[in-house]
Amino acid sequence: MSRLMLAALSVSVSLAAQQPVPYEYFPLDNGLRVFLIEDHDTPVVTVNVWYNVGSRNERPGRSGFAHLFEHMMFQGSANADKGAHMQLIERAGGNMNGSTNTDRTNYYQTLPSNRLNLGLWLEADRMRSLAITPENFENQRETVKEERRLRIDNQPYARAFVDGLAMQYDSVTCYPYSHTVIGSMDDLNATTTPDVQAFFDLYYAPNNATLVVVGDFQPAEARRLIQQYFGDIPQGAEPPPVDCRQQLNQGAQRIVWPDAMANLPAVLSGFLIPGHDNADTPALSLLSTILGGGESSRLNQALVRDQQLAVQAGVFTDSRRGPGQFVVLAVANQGVTTDTLEAALMAEVARIGEEGVTEEELERAKNAFRSTDVFGRQTSMNIAERIQHYAHDHADPSEINTDADRYLSVTLDDIHRVAQRYLVPNNSLLLIVTPARQAEVQP
Amino acid sequence: MNRFSVVAALAALATVPVTAQFPTQPPAPTALAPVQFPPFQQATLRNGLRLILVENHQLPIVSFSLAIPAGAVNEPPAMRGLAGMTAELLTKGTTTRSAEQISQQIEGVGGSLDAGAGDDFFTLSSTVLTDHADLALGLAADVLLNATFPAEELELARRRSLSGLRIERSQPGAVAARFFNRELYGDHPYGQAPTETTVQAITREAVQQFAREHLRPQGGWLVVAGAISLNDARALAERHLGTWSGRAPARAYGRPPAPRATDILLVHRPGSQQSNILIGNLAMRPGDQQYYAATVANKILGGGTDARLFQILREERGWTYGSYSSFNRPFDVGRFQATAEVRTPVTDSALAEMLHQVRRIRTERVPDSTLESAKGFLTGVFPLTIETPQQVAGQVAVQERLGLGQDYLRRYRERIAAVTPPQLMAAARATVRPDSAVIVVVGDGAVIFEGLRAIASVRIVDVEGNSLTPDDLAPSAATDLNVDAARMHTGRDSLNVTFQGQAIGAMISETTVDEETVRYSTTLMIPMMGMNAGNAGVLQRATFRPVETTSRLAMGGGAAVEGTLRFDGMRVHGQAMGAPAGPGAPPALRDVDTTFALALYDSDQIAATLTALPLAVGTSYTFPTFGADHATISTYTARVERRESVTVPAGTFDVWRVGVAGEEASTVWITADAPHRLVRMELASQPIAFELVR
Repeated sequence: MSRLMLAALSVSVSLAAQQPVPYEYFPLDNGLRVFLIEDHDTPVVTVNVWYNVGSRNERPGRSGFAHLFEHMMFQGSANADKGAHMQLIERAGGNMNGSTNTDRTNYYQTLPSNRLNLGLWLEADRMRSLAITPENFENQRETVKEERRLRIDNQPYARAFVDGLAMQYDSVTCYPYSHTVIGSMDDLNATTTPDVQAFFDLYYAPNNATLVVVGDFQPAEARRLIQQYFGDIPQGAEPPPVDCRQQLNQGAQRIVWPDAMANLPAVLSGFLIPGHDNADTPALSLLSTILGGGESSRLNQALVRDQQLAVQAGVFTDSRRGPGQFVVLAVANQGVTTDTLEAALMAEVARIGEEGVTEEELERAKNAFRSTDVFGRQTSMNIAERIQHYAHDHADPSEINTDADRYLSVTLDDIHRVAQRYLVPNNSLLLIVTPARQAEVQP
Repeated sequence: MNRFSVVAALAALATVPVTAQFPTQPPAPTALAPVQFPPFQQATLRNGLRLILVENHQLPIVSFSLAIPAGAVNEPPAMRGLAGMTAELLTKGTTTRSAEQISQQIEGVGGSLDAGAGDDFFTLSSTVLTDHADLALGLAADVLLNATFPAEELELARRRSLSGLRIERSQPGAVAARFFNRELYGDHPYGQAPTETTVQAITREAVQQFAREHLRPQGGWLVVAGAISLNDARALAERHLGTWSGRAPARAYGRPPAPRATDILLVHRPGSQQSNILIGNLAMRPGDQQYYAATVANKILGGGTDARLFQILREERGWTYGSYSSFNRPFDVGRFQATAEVRTPVTDSALAEMLHQVRRIRTERVPDSTLESAKGFLTGVFPLTIETPQQVAGQVAVQERLGLGQDYLRRYRERIAAVTPPQLMAAARATVRPDSAVIVVVGDGAVIFEGLRAIASVRIVDVEGNSLTPDDLAPSAATDLNVDAARMHTGRDSLNVTFQGQAIGAMISETTVDEETVRYSTTLMIPMMGMNAGNAGVLQRATFRPVETTSRLAMGGGAAVEGTLRFDGMRVHGQAMGAPAGPGAPPALRDVDTTFALALYDSDQIAATLTALPLAVGTSYTFPTFGADHATISTYTARVERRESVTVPAGTFDVWRVGVAGEEASTVWITADAPHRLVRMELASQPIAFELVR
């Protein structure tokens, strides 16, 4: 085969339309939204439930509730004892887990397809009859406190990253994002078992959940089981709307953050970005790859390799339904002052606002996006999470089949424009983390 | 509920039988779906390389996996580890690309390129979006044909390998596996693992020669999976690999030793809180038709948490953290094994029960319901291993490499489902042989020897493999160290942690001394690994004997495991950290309640203890230790090597350099003048150093 023919082959491949994800959607009468995606390639099935609740739904005085609740969901229900969920799934040859973030809580299991009924039954049993007892609750509250101590309080930089970055949100105009997912220990202490029951009744009702089944099943049989298991779960009240009126460009904030766990200074700068459904999201996502994604990124090349000012540098983006954050960060090399590091880090950010990026950088970022996008469709679990994302965070779930085009059509001008618009001092929170002794650390 | 939803609800009622209540029991499995194992295509390249394609255009992904019949079995016995080293260095530079360029090019298209070597096969794999297939195979061909194996990369890889071996020796499960394979396979290559000596013996010339002689296309497979046609795959392969030619030399596996009457090899690990038991025998060659029945038998005996070994040894008796059995299937003869990790005092009872269960599967007909549920699990779980084209291709590659026959994968589930009780028993009798088995027990010989002797004859060795007699099992007495807390630097020290010279974390230590005690605490944080570890304790000021020691470890941002031991004369009790339950799992806590025949020091405070000793060039101290992160007796020897000057972030210091030999060997630098302060420490096993900052 000649070089020309090979070139032709690769062009025809890249232009071939992405296979759309064909899904069937129907709501139950109690409001449960159901998506079915058939894929008979292998007799495997994923049962995936998202509850439309995250830390953004919490009220003042009750922070940390959504995450605590995720723990409660593994403590047993009317027909499945504590520990039975995990054991039944494992013995059926499957796997399972759950997680909580600001915007949603998810639960999932992947099973041999002849155990679809087991996955649905277990999810239905806990949706209809979770065992909310004072013992289970007390036990899980302690587990969560331990989790906070280990994952945040005892980790260098973690408090700045978690507690510090939340300070970019105004607690008056946007309480939902001005507190952390794990919440305050005082709030957890003040929580009572009836609070937990009320939270369950409001947010874990079928009308606040989305069930996705992906894999090898017969739709009529799946519908029948879903109707039988979930159909008579009572509909709950409409959860109150989330109130976040956070504005961008609220002026530059700067906080010096002593950290007893850190031995090297670090600089973090958070920039507010618009909600996920904004037209600028694709350009911001590609920009984060160019600036901070991997070995060949600008920050790594400039700060770690060339100038050797940092031992680590990168970008972290948190795209949310409300305003999210684009965080650039660097950990100083030995002997480098925070002033030097801050100047070098901000110079790299400013350079993109001034000069934009190169065609080659944009191409590499699109390549990385495409592979992540495509590799993320290989398993039933990945597909389930993706349809959930589009069902929750996009105007229309059908965008699952068109969204990639928005990323692949981002231009150099788009990148330049979003950098100038969002990555500016007036829209930033700067955290200077300095190594400290215990006594100096803020409470 | 509004009027429309009432109408909808009535409509729903009409379609669902009124009797369909929510079940109060988990629903039973439904019939298994028939699996059409995805078809695959084959071709042979002009150079003799066989091409296998699992074509699937659902997603624009293509993966290449080259498998060459070359591996540890092809190594010169004096250079065990050579094949793995060759694989590790393959992607570290070619005549036209640096290691950095190779990783940048493949990462720039969001793809991957990995090389690896096992006992029997050498593999090189790459996964990319289809439009980068040309780049992926081009890079693979470049490293295959033009790798330069840079000398400095070899030294780095050697250090990693040596550190791995050292870590392995502290893990009883790994020690047990090493002795077990050696006992089963003898001089057969499967019985020969790399050692410090063989890894040290590997030369760059040997790596180059191994690659030149063995990485040849004839006899190998290029397995391609994803969105590409056979013609396109073949054209790509011919283009990039067309100049590659030749055949690897034929290999001889040698014969493993003949079976002999069951006896026990006891690997003495003084102070061990647990015993690791391995029972097994050589079992089947790859194409053995009893494989299916034997697999079902194994599922019932020890193939999971609902199998007999786990249920009886753990759930009923509470002797163990887990007990399992398995068959493996390498290119040459495979083995059966049953394993358990049990508390020291129940070692003999657990071994006897395991042997009983192993005999039972050979002699007692399994109930039909047990058989059906085992077969249901095995046939049901198989599809979870073939969800993606790459996973399918991986299974096809195994079928082809091991010569399992063209219908092996297609008929696997059907053959499992057809196994009958008599077939199961016949297969168990042929493949599980408790009367000519190899048994290895790693544990504290002083406690478990007598009990084991009642089960079978016992040979004893130490962890290094040196023969011991029963008399060697009694612990020896030790002399007291001449410590003086007044020689120590006290207060808070902050140290940097570096890996290959790059800062990766921090360590903070604090020491206080009062009239009775020395108190210390240390916190180690390595953010990129999510690691947070620490220890704290109290020593008697006059003797430095521990009173109490606590060790804490959290990895990957997970929950911390914490163990505290109290020392009461010669008695030690409390909890200590043991080996993790599995890869990536946190260490398990072990109850410890033991009395020793000798006084011990705290293994967490070796460096600090040195600062309380009189130091001069040539002096050396030997002392046995025990600690909460390492509940076995480890003896350390520290020798003052020389006086020198060392510069760390805190400044330049006049220091003693002290070599510390033992389980976790290190070099420490301690200020020459009292109060002695630790200014630097380097681990021998890994390129990790600690340097005083302030």
